Amino acid sequence: MTGGGGGGPVRIGVDVDKCVASGMCAFVAPGVFGQREEDGVVVVLHRDPPEDQHEAVHEAAVRCPAQVIDVE
Amino acid sequence: MDASTDRPGGPDLLDLPLPQPRECPFGPPPEMAGLRERTPVVRVKCPTGITAWLVTRYDDVRDVLGDAGRFSSRAGQAIHLMAHADPDRPVGDVEFSRMDGADYQRFRRIIGPEVSTAQRMAELRPMVQDLVDERLDALAAAGQAADFYGDFAVPVTTAAIGGLVGVPYEDRELFHNAAAVMFSGATSQADVLKVMRPLHEYLYKLVVTRRAEPADDSLSRIIARSEAGERPFTDVELVGICAALLVPGFDTTATVMAHGLLTLLAHPAELARLRADPSLIPSAVEEIVRFLGGAPGIVRQATRDTEIGGHPVAEGDYVVLAMQAADRDTGAFPDPDRLDVGRRPNNHLGFGYGTHQCFGQQTARLELTVTLETLLRRVPSLRLAVPLDDVPFKTGSIVYGPAEVPVTWDAVLPAGKAG
Repeated sequence: MTGGGGGGPVRIGVDVDKCVASGMCAFVAPGVFGQREEDGVVVVLHRDPPEDQHEAVHEAAVRCPAQVIDVE
Repeated sequence: MDASTDRPGGPDLLDLPLPQPRECPFGPPPEMAGLRERTPVVRVKCPTGITAWLVTRYDDVRDVLGDAGRFSSRAGQAIHLMAHADPDRPVGDVEFSRMDGADYQRFRRIIGPEVSTAQRMAELRPMVQDLVDERLDALAAAGQAADFYGDFAVPVTTAAIGGLVGVPYEDRELFHNAAAVMFSGATSQADVLKVMRPLHEYLYKLVVTRRAEPADDSLSRIIARSEAGERPFTDVELVGICAALLVPGFDTTATVMAHGLLTLLAHPAELARLRADPSLIPSAVEEIVRFLGGAPGIVRQATRDTEIGGHPVAEGDYVVLAMQAADRDTGAFPDPDRLDVGRRPNNHLGFGYGTHQCFGQQTARLELTVTLETLLRRVPSLRLAVPLDDVPFKTGSIVYGPAEVPVTWDAVLPAGKAG
């Protein structure tokens, strides 16, 4: 389950090589994640998102089917 | 069947599918709860003859689906239910549902932008809204009763996927026929090929046409994107991609749409919550998919000797992941057997999980969301026309859900009237 928001700043890493363009991250956290036009692969729009986005970022990491999102 | 990869289990093996009593129209089979509790990885015999491990816990199902290195898709996603899907046959050139790794990703990334991005969904939304409104207008003109599955859900989802790919509605019979055989109890590859051939011939002509004259559809964009890439898709591959969008792309969504409406009508307090606060519609869609999705389960094959939740599994063993049962795991969801349209978080497995997770999930969400929004706004008096117990369920299809949802209403409000 999601870790929830709060706490300190989050750092987001993505492994684009493993991405399968499901669109899950951009669906869950549209302000933070986008997708490349040519192949739908994840793009991080906000490397250090504001605190009100943290819960969504954690949810995106949990729901990414290819487990390419790493949140610290 | 290779005996070494399919060890016999003994006479007391549990038979799949488990009984689904009439009193449980939303599933999963009641026996699943006991299995999840006591024997979460259990040997079962499937109707196609193979034996497999049935996995019912949330964490275990996620573990298997999320690790393509330990658990391959190569045998086929539904060899436990589709007798024509021989797990030992070679993987076809365009059979990407059975590919792993980079071979699979090549297909996924060419389809992804057409069915997954926020921008594409925003472009498709007016088309879906028009289809929903036009269908409701037609039903209103015909009277005050209809079969929501056959008269609404199937035509709307058919037109949506056809419109997305670029296949006109009047040509739907080809992919309807293919889906009917593919997801039925058909036992031979020959039967499947017989019904796929006319579809492939049709799609080949479409591919050739769109190569010459691109249109504003996914096929044309897929061709353009493919040509710009390092390994352009052949015509045969493009035909396969179109078929993979069309054949599984309507009845799965139509069935969960009809089953979802039936679920809401049978849970009037939750329907009232939605009516009072339509901002809950997106979470209601997730909850419907959690509640009903993944019922048939999907198959993986162990690539090495390994464990699932501490239970040893041998290389070559088949595993059936029971996603709907996993989504009722008390370890993952509070009060999981309760329908809660406001449930958050809701990290369900109704669309599967892992690299093969349903690639049409964002279009399915869009169609379900627009339909719910529009029904609440335009048909507030919508109700079942028969008692719940009299709603017939499909037999002879692996896409589980109602065969008909007889509904009635007092009035259908005009499309323009925002509520």
